[in-house]
Amino acid sequence: MHRRNFLLVLLAAAASLLSPFAGGRALATESPTAALKVLKVVTSTTDLYDIARSVGGNRITATHIGEGYQDPHFIEAKPSFVLQLRNADVWAFVGLDLEIGWMPLLLDGARNPRIRQGGTGYLDVSRAVPLLDIPQGNVDRSQGDVHPLGNPHYWLDPQNGKRIARLFQQKFTQLDPAGAATYAANAKAFEAKLDAAERSWAPALARIKGKPVVAWHTSWRYFAEYTGMNIVGFMEPKPGVPPSPSHLARLIATMRRTGAKVIVMEPFYDRKTANLVASRTGARVLVLPPSVGGMKGLNDYTSLMTYDIQQLANALQ
Amino acid sequence: MRITLWTLALALCAASGASAQQRDTVPRPDSARADSVAKAKADSAAAADSAFFAQQLQQGAAADSGRTPTTGATGPTNPRLLPDVSAVGDLVGDLSPRESTQEDGSRFGVREVELALQAAVDPFFRGDVFLGISDLESISIEQAYLTATALPWGLEVRLGRFLMPTGKQNTTHRHDLHTIEYPYVIQRFLGEEGLKGTGIWASKIFAPFAFYQELQLTAVDRFGEPEEGLTVSEPANKKLSGLGYSARFRNYWDLSQSANVEVAATAVTGRREQPIGNPFPPFPTSISGVNARQTVVGADFTYRWRPLQQGLYKSFILQAEVMRQINQRMSGQLVGDPFGGSALAPYEGPDRDFSGAYVFGRYQLTRRLFLGSRYDWLQDPGAGGETLQAGSGYLEFFPSEFSKLMIGYEHLFADGDAQDTDRILLQAAFALGPHRPHPF
Repeated sequence: MHRRNFLLVLLAAAASLLSPFAGGRALATESPTAALKVLKVVTSTTDLYDIARSVGGNRITATHIGEGYQDPHFIEAKPSFVLQLRNADVWAFVGLDLEIGWMPLLLDGARNPRIRQGGTGYLDVSRAVPLLDIPQGNVDRSQGDVHPLGNPHYWLDPQNGKRIARLFQQKFTQLDPAGAATYAANAKAFEAKLDAAERSWAPALARIKGKPVVAWHTSWRYFAEYTGMNIVGFMEPKPGVPPSPSHLARLIATMRRTGAKVIVMEPFYDRKTANLVASRTGARVLVLPPSVGGMKGLNDYTSLMTYDIQQLANALQ
Repeated sequence: MRITLWTLALALCAASGASAQQRDTVPRPDSARADSVAKAKADSAAAADSAFFAQQLQQGAAADSGRTPTTGATGPTNPRLLPDVSAVGDLVGDLSPRESTQEDGSRFGVREVELALQAAVDPFFRGDVFLGISDLESISIEQAYLTATALPWGLEVRLGRFLMPTGKQNTTHRHDLHTIEYPYVIQRFLGEEGLKGTGIWASKIFAPFAFYQELQLTAVDRFGEPEEGLTVSEPANKKLSGLGYSARFRNYWDLSQSANVEVAATAVTGRREQPIGNPFPPFPTSISGVNARQTVVGADFTYRWRPLQQGLYKSFILQAEVMRQINQRMSGQLVGDPFGGSALAPYEGPDRDFSGAYVFGRYQLTRRLFLGSRYDWLQDPGAGGETLQAGSGYLEFFPSEFSKLMIGYEHLFADGDAQDTDRILLQAAFALGPHRPHPF
């Protein structure tokens, strides 16, 4: 009787597993374009999310996994994210191993062949941008949390923002040819908005150019390339390694020697350590959001870049 | 028990039906021919996706900006199609004051080196192989399974050897535990190194009520390891009813951006060798055991808190599992004698059921330092059901994501007149290579 009851439960469970309607999605082999009126796009970061929805307009629904005030390296692979991904048509991610700590779990859990590597919706955005900090020679973890394929924080250069928009335009057009004109117009509008913002940044960029600053993490390299700010040191002795007292002593000496008066850091790092260095050097700690939504009111890519550039320029005056 | 099983069966059917009633918001194609044409276009575009886009966009970027992009490697990063190879070293020290509490009596040892090979096999499967290398067991296949990656209906199927989805902590690799060793209820009910099985695993995700639910079913060669030194007249898995079967039903809710809860129920059953005594009248026989059904049912609860903005520095986890081991009641066994007759051998296996549980909590003190504590309670099957209680504390330090140092203190409360035991354990674990992240 005990065994029969258990086997009956197992049979019911097996029936649930095999029910073709139980929480399932369209078969993997279905055409993504003919079957869909609206593309479901999921992105790893809020920056990709904003650019995607700018290009996609009302022809897509977009969601994102990480939040703008969260370190994108260390997102927890929560099962609720799997529910977003299992019906996605496009999974757009930063790449260069930024998401390596959590993305494989989510893609495995989603069981969505469209967004697995090789699928029509698997979109590694890093392939569209020129990269900085590609290590040369032997690479290993004695160098810290090194990204062997290049620095992944490329969205902080507005020129790359335009490249990302073009990439989304091409991907959405591939999956939804009927929307080609819309995507092209939206991408053009996004670039035009960014171009207009760039013109307004000119005075601020002039104030930033060549000025020495310290950054917490190597995430500000592309921003530095664009703005001309001169990163003379990092709070981290190596990427991903918290500052040690000896490193901080050397950094303080560097700041005094170069005249660096601003420490740029993200909101999710420990401000106490930066404040300590600032107090020893007369510098100012400038918390800048690295992503859309990283601060209240910065809900789009152009606003984010405008804010970061203006705040840095003001701090360097 | 019967009512519980029927209730579970009905709940499973209801979940299946409820999600069947959920409307698919995706409009269906008007024409099958349009489907196939569009599919062919999509497939061919996907095949040229990465190289084509990279080339187009870089050319466009150069034209737009007037500067030549300094691109990185545009070719494949793994042209030899090598698998991801990684190794995890798990080193344990035992500074318990009275004597070492390790199985081999050592004070310091390499508990295990886990070697992993992981890669996509083809567009349809992924392969994962984990080899465990230790002084005690030489080299063994810890896990080796093929995962189907292109199944419809949100199904995942694995074939091979795997950690059984029995409770919450059983699927965590031992080196990855926050408590150096598995809780006592897992060690005693499932195995000192957890419960593994070789067979088939199938799982499906549901969300008929807008939260994550997952059903995991397995059918494996047998329940647990064979009992050493016992000889039975026929293998425990001679009939299909003797295989190991398990079911786990997992439910997950986000309480907020920072907090979430997971509640699950598990059952695993199979036939296992249990001892019998000498037959009467006595005669020499090689038969020393009999197959009896054993079932473990349980429930687990996990609460996690990690504020998103301070997530590098603050987190808390509270976890609890309760299990009950249900043993088939057996009478004396007839054993054939050399003269064609038979004699009765008394059954010496468990004649009762046992329960056990643990509660574990861990708080993050700083970016790299964590403080944990666990309470274990168990009716120990290996000690006739005597109550085992233990309280332990752990300090866990992560120099980086790839290395871990831990010290733990445990106090075992002895039953009756026996003496309490204090244990002091150390652990150093490190990972080489691109070890894939472990389940959430």
